[in-house]
Amino acid sequence: MDTASANDFDIRDYLRVELLPHFMCPGCGHGIALRALLWAVHDLKLAKDRLAIVSGIGCSGRVGAYIDANTFHVTHGRPLAFATGLALARPDLEVIVITGDGDCLAIGGNHLIHACRRNLHLTCLMFNNEIYGMTGGQVSPTTADDRLTTTTPYGNAEPSFDACALAAAAGASFVGRGMTLQTVALKNLIRDAISHRGFSFVEVISDCTEIFGRKNDLGSSPEMILRQKGSMKPDTYGNVVDRPFRPNAVQTGVLARNDRPEYGDAYRAAVLGAAGAAVAG
Amino acid sequence: MNVEHRPAVPTNVLIVGVGGQGVIMVSKVLASLCQQAGLEVKQSEVHGMAKRGGSVFSHVRFGETVLSPMIAHGEADIMVALEWAEGLRWLDYLKRDGGTFIADTQQIVPPVSFRNRRRGARSGYAPATPAEVIDLVGNGFALDATRMAAGLGNERVANTVLLGALSTALPFPREGWLGVLDGLVPPKTTEVNRRAFDAGREWVQNFDRPAEQAAAAVAVPVSGDGLDHRLEITEAWCKGCDICVKMCPERCLTLNARHIVELTDPAACTACRLCEWLCPDFAIRVLTASAPAPALAK
Repeated sequence: MDTASANDFDIRDYLRVELLPHFMCPGCGHGIALRALLWAVHDLKLAKDRLAIVSGIGCSGRVGAYIDANTFHVTHGRPLAFATGLALARPDLEVIVITGDGDCLAIGGNHLIHACRRNLHLTCLMFNNEIYGMTGGQVSPTTADDRLTTTTPYGNAEPSFDACALAAAAGASFVGRGMTLQTVALKNLIRDAISHRGFSFVEVISDCTEIFGRKNDLGSSPEMILRQKGSMKPDTYGNVVDRPFRPNAVQTGVLARNDRPEYGDAYRAAVLGAAGAAVAG
Repeated sequence: MNVEHRPAVPTNVLIVGVGGQGVIMVSKVLASLCQQAGLEVKQSEVHGMAKRGGSVFSHVRFGETVLSPMIAHGEADIMVALEWAEGLRWLDYLKRDGGTFIADTQQIVPPVSFRNRRRGARSGYAPATPAEVIDLVGNGFALDATRMAAGLGNERVANTVLLGALSTALPFPREGWLGVLDGLVPPKTTEVNRRAFDAGREWVQNFDRPAEQAAAAVAVPVSGDGLDHRLEITEAWCKGCDICVKMCPERCLTLNARHIVELTDPAACTACRLCEWLCPDFAIRVLTASAPAPALAK
């Protein structure tokens, strides 16, 4: 473990501390995911001025507002679209998208697959808590089979998305999954995703304790976070590891990675190259 | 390759270390070299417990005729230890007079050597310093091979550094060693392995200094009271979700009457930082002696 990095990382250097405590419910995993992101930024020694955070709508969308950097809170499902424009216009920025399972896969599903296809240098963090928490607990594309939500009072009958498989199939050149329970591993994954040149998709398994947890009787916050270790419903996380003592263990880490050409470079070479390099600035 | 030195009595070389260091690789190089020289070789090893970090040893015997594959207590002519405590564990296999002891001072401290999980607690790891041990064996070399290997750009060639040191104690020519080594290491690492081999050789040839102090970077610094850390709790941010209380391995946190976290057993805290990392509300910060002062004031 990187003790030195743990020692000199103070998350408050990267937060708008005057806005804290944040609005999220007790036990919500998004706070831990935010810590992992900021710790990764700290490890990479990225200047806050060079960091651009784009977030959509939902609980995950509100997370970006607490980061002391360039932050954009944009329309529902569109953070990837905004980020695409931003990353093309300002290649000097490190653009990171924070989005949720509903924002990214339902409302913004179209933007996700095309962002994956283009392979523009972006990092997309999808906080997956299996529910639309902010609007009162409706079913989301990643809600597992049989789960109770406000809109599925008799259990969810829809099959759910494996977001990582979707992103990899659509062409994302870095796909990974981490869980808030393993903060250090998640930090390292996000750090690698940011350093990867190309489109990086990271699914962060997070917990909605107040709504999803209550509706489905998943217990207290510590019980819910511990459940990430081995008793998740498998269908949301396609790559379930079949291990004898860990049924339903979710596969984490880097799931797909390749070095195909990055879109921004290709775009500048093809379009701006002809018009003269001066436009690029 | 021809070697004039053909002793009737086999030469015994014992190589010890922990899993992952390359004990078997060192013994393979030696055994192949002896075989090429037309000597009879017997090698036996135990690596079943190895995984990574478990004890590994390999006996190599070579000579005109070799009957048993095992080296008896007090019969090893040369012992190579890739890890300090493993070297001490096997020391009674070394010949009492004239045995050569070559050891890396690198310490790999296993978690079980700690009786007490408090930060800074004294461990049960071998307390003898290299100087004391070298005095004891007479013909001993303790070098910081791991640091030398790291200096060459790859910490994993520490075993080749020790192989270089070992080569000075045996009558085979340098080129013979390098030929076998090239054939056994991955092609990409041939260059660094060759440099490591020569570094080990040179170290022994220039040896006239006292044994180097044990690698200063022992896993855990030993300090008296162990209380060089404290917890800083931002009460206004705590939402009482209970995660830190339940996840703390030492059970030293509790929620108070206002549902705010409190450190109730500071002596039990080991500064493992789990509470800091898992707090969704950034309400806990573990400050260790080396950490900068709190930044909240701004």
